[in-house]
Amino acid sequence: MADITKGVAVDATAPASRRVPRSLVEVVAPVAVIAVIILVLPLFIPSFVSSLVTKMMIYGLFGMSLNIIWGYAGIPSFGHAAFFGVGGYATGILILKVGISSFWINFLLAVAVAAVIAAILGVPAFRVFGVGAGNTNPIYFLLATIAFGELLSRMAIALRPLTGGSTGLAGIPEPDLGLGFRITSGRLYYLTFIVVAVCLYLMYRVVNSHFGYALRGIHDNEKRMQALGYNTWLYKYTSWIIAGVFGAVAGIMFAYFGSVMAPNSLAMSTSDISFLLVIMGSSTTFLGPLVASVVYVGIEYLASVYLPDRWPIIFGALFVFTIMVTPQGLGVEILKGWRRLVRGAS
Amino acid sequence: MALLEVENISVHFGGLAAVSNVSFNIEPGERLALIGPNGAGKTTLFNLLTGQLKPSSGKVLFKGQDITHASVFARTHMGMARSFQIVSLFSYQSVLVNALIGLQGIHKSRYGLVKYMLRDQELQAAARELLESVELWDLRDEIVSSLAYGQQRKLEIALSLASKPELLLLDEPSCGLTTSESADITTRIKELGSRITVLMIAHDMDLVFGVAERVIVLHYGRIACEGTCEEIRTDQLVKDIYMGSRKGLTAGSGGKL
Repeated sequence: MADITKGVAVDATAPASRRVPRSLVEVVAPVAVIAVIILVLPLFIPSFVSSLVTKMMIYGLFGMSLNIIWGYAGIPSFGHAAFFGVGGYATGILILKVGISSFWINFLLAVAVAAVIAAILGVPAFRVFGVGAGNTNPIYFLLATIAFGELLSRMAIALRPLTGGSTGLAGIPEPDLGLGFRITSGRLYYLTFIVVAVCLYLMYRVVNSHFGYALRGIHDNEKRMQALGYNTWLYKYTSWIIAGVFGAVAGIMFAYFGSVMAPNSLAMSTSDISFLLVIMGSSTTFLGPLVASVVYVGIEYLASVYLPDRWPIIFGALFVFTIMVTPQGLGVEILKGWRRLVRGAS
Repeated sequence: MALLEVENISVHFGGLAAVSNVSFNIEPGERLALIGPNGAGKTTLFNLLTGQLKPSSGKVLFKGQDITHASVFARTHMGMARSFQIVSLFSYQSVLVNALIGLQGIHKSRYGLVKYMLRDQELQAAARELLESVELWDLRDEIVSSLAYGQQRKLEIALSLASKPELLLLDEPSCGLTTSESADITTRIKELGSRITVLMIAHDMDLVFGVAERVIVLHYGRIACEGTCEEIRTDQLVKDIYMGSRKGLTAGSGGKL
């Protein structure tokens, strides 16, 4: 965590003196390339692969939402699945139990529910995080966030009439966009693409805004930030809610994608995924977790085919392997390679 | 009316009275130095004034308002700023970003979620002015951790001035600097003039006598004496505190200059 150069984001708007703006080279160009690839991909690949790509996009969003608080504000949360699961469960409950079919209304309500839950959980959480401006050990915060996820997953099991208990909610239909436009599984790919793309854009604005730079300042030196006149508690609390909302969007899309929502999507086992995505993708780059999710979902798929009973070991090995081979994360490695490529070409 | 009034302030850490019954005033435009041997409670007193610590008893008034329980950032918005004894910067960001973050702390845009901070022309212009005043503008794209120590010190002072304070609290501004760098800091503080009231902790006596109009000597958490530079220079008690006394008046002080 020491090397917080924030490769992609810090230089997003480089001084005009440079010939080619860094933002163009390091953000706009790669994003455009990735977007074009994703858009034309379904023409060439079988549908099961495009469903994997859908999952990559959803997990990518999930990892990047955690990165807002972890990579930028320096708050590692072990319970990010709480928001993922809340988003998914809210969607499932609204469709199956409340009977709202419109995708848009569901989406807004689920996001609102997640924001409210984040706002409630954030109050106790930030009582134990960095209150003394850097003097507090983040371990208490980590423990509290683990507890939130486990608490919510227990609640999901206990509230059987609403949540379907330990088997969860099954049979979440494909999203209904209204005007008779039903989303088939092929179209869900594009809907996910649009939702994720919009979220990425919004998150990019947030982390490069005045607020976003204040988060980086808090990451580096919270004591100084307070002395400069920042209410750092409010920043951390707000970033927690923002990260929670984007995590919930990932959960909403996941519920539509998988058509089921189980209690473990609120718990540690799902939080671990977001954690791995940030570590593997590198918390210092904006797009890193998205890159990691490609690797992660790919390996998850291969494992499910060839070694279906060995997933926990493989998952654990992925953590160890990442730390050993690319401790800074794939995002940093790719960014270095990309810079070299661009410099070589120009 | 005094700018800052400190009334009988005390703080205890367990059984240790780090600061006890300290009272003093600072008039607007004044330059006041706080000296004393190591462990005298100078930095603790600073933390009480800036809100990092809350006093066990006593009151702090700033511009006539009771700020004893106000938060650190609220005090900054009222016009108080501080520097840190150990440089306290955003080490992994560029010099320019440090200045921008520093400047937007009291700026209304600081909660802005949408606009790119780096494209804020108003902040950029202010940052240029701030960095030029400490001769760091040419180094604006350097990462702070790669700067020389003297430059980091300058940036430290620049950040303390970023919030346009009326009262500036400097905690050993010349700590770790060479003699010429220290002299440079002395001139800079003098150049602030009477616009900014300065309360300064220092071990460097050249800095103290060069800058301060009044000196407070802190010893064992209490004010041992106060007066003008000339009075302090010749005061027997101050000599005893710093050099030790044969009579054992200040046994165990062992302070060094």
